[in-house]
Amino acid sequence: MDFETLSGDLHRLRDRALEEIATSSDPAALEALQIQYLGKKGDLTAVLRGIGALPPEDRPRVGAVANEVGEAVKAALATRGAELHGQVQARRLASEAVDVTLPGRTVGRGTLHPIPETVEAIAEVFGQFGFVVYEGPEVEDDLTNFQMLNIAPDHPARDLWDTLYVDIPGYLLRTHTSPGQIRVMQSTRPPIRALLPGRCFRYEAVDASHGFEFFQVEGLMVDEGTSMADLKGLLDEFAHALFGPRKTRFRPGYYPFTEPSVAFDVQCVVCGGAGCPACSRTGWMTILGAGMVHPVVLQYGGIDPEKYQGFAFGMGVERIANLRHAVPDLRYYLENDLRFLEQFR
Amino acid sequence: MRVPLSWLRDYVDIQQTPEQLAERLTLLGMEVQGLEQWGADWRSVVVGELLTVEKHPRADRLHLTTVNIGSGEPLHIVCGANNIAPGQRVPVALPGAVLPGDRRIERTEKMGIASEGMLCSGDELHITSDAEGILILPPETTLGVQLSDLYGDVVLDVDVKPNRGDALCLIGLAREVAAATGATVRWPDIAVREGDDPVSAHLRVEVREPELCTRFVGRWISGVKIGPSPDRIQMRLQAAGMRPVSNVVDASNYVMLELGKPTHTFNGAAVRDGTIIVRRATPGESLETLDHVQRELTPDTLIIADPHGPIGIAGVMGGADSEIADDTTDIAIESAIFDPVSIRRTGHRYALRSEASLRFEKGQEFQLARIAADRVAQLTLAWSGGVCARGRIDTAPDEPAAARLAFRPARVRKLSGAEVSAPEQRDLLRRVGVETEENGASVQIQVAVAPQPLRVDAGEEEVLVAVVPTWRRDLAIEADVAEEVARVRGYETTPAHLPDTLMPAYRPSPLAVRNMLRSTLAGAGLSEVVTHALVAPESEPRLRWPSDDDLTGVETPESGSLITVTNPLSSQHSVMRRHLAASLIDVLALNERQGRGDVAIFEVGKGYGRVDGRSREWTRLGILLSGNAQPPSWNRADRQYDLDDAKGIVELLAKRLGLPAPVYRADDRGFPFHPGRALVATSIADHEAVVGRVAELHPDVLEQRDLRSQRVIVAELAIRGLDAGVPARVHVEPIPRFPEVERDLAVVVGEAVDAATVSATISRNAGELLRGLRLFDLYRGAPLAASEKSLAYRLVFGARARTLTEAEVDEAVARVQAGLKSELGANLRS
Repeated sequence: MDFETLSGDLHRLRDRALEEIATSSDPAALEALQIQYLGKKGDLTAVLRGIGALPPEDRPRVGAVANEVGEAVKAALATRGAELHGQVQARRLASEAVDVTLPGRTVGRGTLHPIPETVEAIAEVFGQFGFVVYEGPEVEDDLTNFQMLNIAPDHPARDLWDTLYVDIPGYLLRTHTSPGQIRVMQSTRPPIRALLPGRCFRYEAVDASHGFEFFQVEGLMVDEGTSMADLKGLLDEFAHALFGPRKTRFRPGYYPFTEPSVAFDVQCVVCGGAGCPACSRTGWMTILGAGMVHPVVLQYGGIDPEKYQGFAFGMGVERIANLRHAVPDLRYYLENDLRFLEQFR
Repeated sequence: MRVPLSWLRDYVDIQQTPEQLAERLTLLGMEVQGLEQWGADWRSVVVGELLTVEKHPRADRLHLTTVNIGSGEPLHIVCGANNIAPGQRVPVALPGAVLPGDRRIERTEKMGIASEGMLCSGDELHITSDAEGILILPPETTLGVQLSDLYGDVVLDVDVKPNRGDALCLIGLAREVAAATGATVRWPDIAVREGDDPVSAHLRVEVREPELCTRFVGRWISGVKIGPSPDRIQMRLQAAGMRPVSNVVDASNYVMLELGKPTHTFNGAAVRDGTIIVRRATPGESLETLDHVQRELTPDTLIIADPHGPIGIAGVMGGADSEIADDTTDIAIESAIFDPVSIRRTGHRYALRSEASLRFEKGQEFQLARIAADRVAQLTLAWSGGVCARGRIDTAPDEPAAARLAFRPARVRKLSGAEVSAPEQRDLLRRVGVETEENGASVQIQVAVAPQPLRVDAGEEEVLVAVVPTWRRDLAIEADVAEEVARVRGYETTPAHLPDTLMPAYRPSPLAVRNMLRSTLAGAGLSEVVTHALVAPESEPRLRWPSDDDLTGVETPESGSLITVTNPLSSQHSVMRRHLAASLIDVLALNERQGRGDVAIFEVGKGYGRVDGRSREWTRLGILLSGNAQPPSWNRADRQYDLDDAKGIVELLAKRLGLPAPVYRADDRGFPFHPGRALVATSIADHEAVVGRVAELHPDVLEQRDLRSQRVIVAELAIRGLDAGVPARVHVEPIPRFPEVERDLAVVVGEAVDAATVSATISRNAGELLRGLRLFDLYRGAPLAASEKSLAYRLVFGARARTLTEAEVDEAVARVQAGLKSELGANLRS
């Protein structure tokens, strides 16, 4: 055995290995080639076994050649390995292609009802101005619902609140959220900024714009100098928040429990003020009633009208929701047809 | 109130367009809700002159006419009326005309003769109530002009608020117009030409209830001739929404619309003994009213009577026997002031609300009793002839002076927030007829009147005294003056600014927990519903939803009784619900009818009940699941909702509230539940709790309600904090620093042992090292016996401060095994 023979063997081994590597077709075959050539019992090792027969001065030279061959085979394995991996991955990815235009897997088809959602929207606006939420009973006593709000039993204004009575003497289904004013005043001291959402009831036949059950939000603010100017400022903010920038109108109204009383209009959300059937051609839509809390009501609330004054307002939640969402019929709300509800996503 | 503008112009000059006037009135608080073009529905109706009137050759009751309409050839028109003669000017509906009620006029043939249009009666045009004869127009009327140009009008529909009874009339609205525009109100000249014999020769009046009838003014007219009112008057009444009846009745109605004072005219012959008595009805008395209904009179009803019995219900409706008839010659005019409350109650009792009673209810200016009596007499004489007896009967001729109301201009400013000086306030008040005086001496201020009167001493503050016109019965307290000032000045001049005063203390929103759970449920795929609180009385008995007696851990109403509405609108909504389940089933039924069977809904709603004679309200969460949990889809198998979905939702809610996993207890009561698929879920911690029923409905319920759904899952949960609560804070546990050890156990038990018992037994025996326990498999079948099942649990062990040894875990598992064996007779399967 001499150096030339051995290095010739090594070069042949290299050439054979490189060819086999280049033509190997899958990672398993490549793995086998690695073992065949570079493994502990592989061909390279076998060739080097002959090194012992060489003269000592040739051994380093053969070692260098063997290294060279080993590195070349390793490099070829790596290159081919990367190539094959790329091919395999490409095949897998190609086989995994989907029609990306297919619809997705549906999640979370729940919806929230527009009534509580509108209450939330209202509470959010007034919450920014320090109004906190209270709730009162729906089965209310006659005194709080009427007399304490300055509506005497035979007051002609009682016609404004057709009432459902219950079989508990002295009780009725509250006709408005206004009795909550009394309850808040009796339970807390000024400064008061309260918001009272809730369900109300009236003896009223059902049609597209009336129902015997409906929802209101009442507001109450009482302090030493709270005036109509504060009311107007707040209501303007409220209207802008809920209906966008549009004109508002503050005009006289009538409620027994406020004096002076106010009706609050916004420019028609349908026609923008030009006049259309939705606004009876006036260009305006009334969204709430308000006024300065009547001294009789303040006193029933335990508040001295000489020291404190304030305002109250009340609005129909359905009315606000109708205008915001263009709901055509009040009956939609309590009917709960999912074709209606699921539009509120 | 309907206000024809042409009539309103009798009392005040109006420079504005109708639209401008409507806006001014609205901004003054007299909301104009509509502007109606009166006469807009007389299209192609023109003034014509009758040239010839001849008998129809083939029909006795028809006439052939030729009519000149001012241009073109005369028209040939067949007419059935008998009051026509050549030379008259009449309304002619041309072919193509459309009359009120959408009646179309075309060229027709009547008994063989062509008719090129129609001559119109007042009734056909809705101008007068005469349906018999053709409307004969004044001879000076211009030929050919459109009738709408002659008699067209604009009618304002004004919403007069209940406190402003004084404005429920033309004079009252003329005052408001004057306040808005600065014009002057013109009263009609009211003067009665009287005869010689005194009224006392014909009429005596005895008021036995002076509290309820504070004034009665009577007049007597002899020799009237009943007939229609002048056309012009009939047109006015029609435009104002009141049907013309006869000249005498119309005079009374005209005055009510003009002055706001209801009066009544009796057939003088029907007032026996010429004596009117105002008294309460006596038991057993009855009266046939003008609407020809026989009414039993209750003893608290104020009536107008003669010595022989009732002839009218005071202020509400007259009696049929004393009604003005065609042959009436003498009339008695009643112009009285009645107690508003009494009239209101009477109107309600007999379900009779007339234009008159609506005005009486709001209170009447005392002076008007006299003025209206005179005005009715004056108009009756003008329209019906006759002679008015001299003088009036008047039971209370002393008329009160104007009331005086002191106010502090500074307080008016403080309420409105507008800088309005005292002189400006005085000017503004003067525009609505309120004069003011300066006040020297200190004076009491009326801050409030009944039912909580308050008078305070003005002290050193500047005070003015308002002299309140007698018609303004609504101005009683200082705040009323403030409104009047603000109203006349214009609310639009009120400044707007945001409050800059102290904020109230923090208060958690009672909606916080509710909203958190609502959004959680919507996120979990459920749709929120809001249903009626008023339900049908059979709704709950039919469903037999169990009472809350066996629920513990949250406040549950002791099984209260149903609250019933005593005056329901419909039997379908006459009791207050105690539970949500029936309402949710109704929603399912409705959606099924719309072809929608996949329903997953929830409601946060109240239950109501009577407990110890008092009403109580509580808030609950109701859930209903039915149909597909996952709709059929190309990329996922569909799946029906079942009990586990509802339980999963309860578990999610418990987690959201920071509560331990709910414990389930079987409820095998049967109807309304599936006897093997109903449970009570309980999850309780220190401050929070979720307790309630979760069940699949019994098939009989589905059948009873005609539901197509095979399985309907319903839950009703009581949740502490749903009424008012604060979401629980999260307390973080340190992340374990030492590894946890998992062991799986397959527990074989008899079918009778439920999973809750097995897991409770495991937890109890495992000791404090057990960190987690989860059921991951349930198996039945070989090699198990038919009466057995295998429950596979994964147990997770761990300790905070060290790594567990195998021996410790083995020991815990051995304890669990022993416990399961001894307590439940369970074996472990490997």
